[in-house]
Amino acid sequence: MIDNVIKGIVYFITLVLIQVLVLNNIHFLRLATPFLYLYFIVKLPVGTSSVNTTFLSFLIGMIIDLFSNTPGMHAAACTFAGFSRQAMIKLYMGKDLAEGLSPSFRTFGYGGFFRYAVTFVILHHATLFLIESLTLFDPLFLVIRIVASVVVTTLLLCIVESFNIESQKSGE
Amino acid sequence: MHKLLDFLIRKRHWFLFVLLEIISLTLVYRNNAYQRNIMFGTANVVTAKILSLSGSVNSYLNLREQNRALLERNGALEMDLLMLRDQMEAMIADTVSFRGFVPDSTERFPYDFIMAKVVYNSVTYASNYITLNKGLKDGVSPDMGVISENGVVGIILTVSDYYSVAIPILNPKFRLSCKVLGSNSFGSMSWNGRSTRYANLDELPRHVEFQIGDTIVTSAYSKIFPEGLMVGFVSSFEKQRDDNFYSLKIELTTDFHRLNNVMIIRNYHQAEQKQVEREARGHD
Repeated sequence: MIDNVIKGIVYFITLVLIQVLVLNNIHFLRLATPFLYLYFIVKLPVGTSSVNTTFLSFLIGMIIDLFSNTPGMHAAACTFAGFSRQAMIKLYMGKDLAEGLSPSFRTFGYGGFFRYAVTFVILHHATLFLIESLTLFDPLFLVIRIVASVVVTTLLLCIVESFNIESQKSGE
Repeated sequence: MHKLLDFLIRKRHWFLFVLLEIISLTLVYRNNAYQRNIMFGTANVVTAKILSLSGSVNSYLNLREQNRALLERNGALEMDLLMLRDQMEAMIADTVSFRGFVPDSTERFPYDFIMAKVVYNSVTYASNYITLNKGLKDGVSPDMGVISENGVVGIILTVSDYYSVAIPILNPKFRLSCKVLGSNSFGSMSWNGRSTRYANLDELPRHVEFQIGDTIVTSAYSKIFPEGLMVGFVSSFEKQRDDNFYSLKIELTTDFHRLNNVMIIRNYHQAEQKQVEREARGHD
């Protein structure tokens, strides 16, 4: 239990710093920005209650907002995605998962984790870019940006997951 | 009653969800620049400190490039100076000097620069903002112009004690009065939210003559920028729907991806000009 909390705090700080100091400056092909900090919400243990997940998602979104002059945008998108996480896991994996397991390639299987991650990222990015587009509506460009960012974020998520030694061990 | 309480507790994550969404969406739509950018933004003392850490590392990495740009700029200015001096001497030699004319030595040039470093700069969103490391204590105030060595960057929006936030060309709320170098008709420049390299100049009258590649500079009608600051080059053009105006696509000279050092322009006559204009409007 306490292990999970410490692990969570380390993930939180590292991912926020990576996102804010490095990834926020990336603008691949002038279209896509990876939002790797979602890895924190994706990796929350399966048994985490809906209240906690929603609140933690809001918190990390809010902090990313503070550092990128977008008050409320990431927070709203993260809250929504975090809130739907429980339902997503139930939908893809059924109810027979042991509590306290972190979602990973090992625990969810390659296909399962990939589907779960993609759905999560799509939900988040669609909300984020839709909220943003209310200041400047440009439908075609909006769709292109959502798709491009979803691809880049998911790719990065899966790469980080497959190199995450700690997560490969904990599945056994 | 018991059932109701039970229901409320069972569904508490729904209430939390709705509450948090309301908080975030209020933050998104509340249009107060000070709260948006200073309290909940990158000009906040804590966030700005952390961001300037990475900024200082970045500025070391860019030193070679910056040095080269500065040398180039220095060379160009030196050439300009020599040319102007040459012209002035020719003119002085050609004119009969009139000793009765003494320019007023107390009148100073109405513009002044404050050098600033970019703390945070976004190009990825639809509405972008730039945070600078100079604030109220350094004499920065809202509505001052921001330029880089390559051209116009934006306008100061809000100021805290030590930091300020500027609204760059890459924000749909930004408008700038511009003209084709050599003509006097002006148009309004804005950004369409797509490429960070291009902006649009609309409402340029049909009779203005220009060619692709011509220089676009700031016009004299801005209270913020001096006349003739570089903005960009004409890259393509089309007629607007009502056919009396041109709409130009402009390639910006400022590279917003690698913005590092900028200058904030202080206009000593701005307050006076604003006041006069306000009085004039009060008389209609």
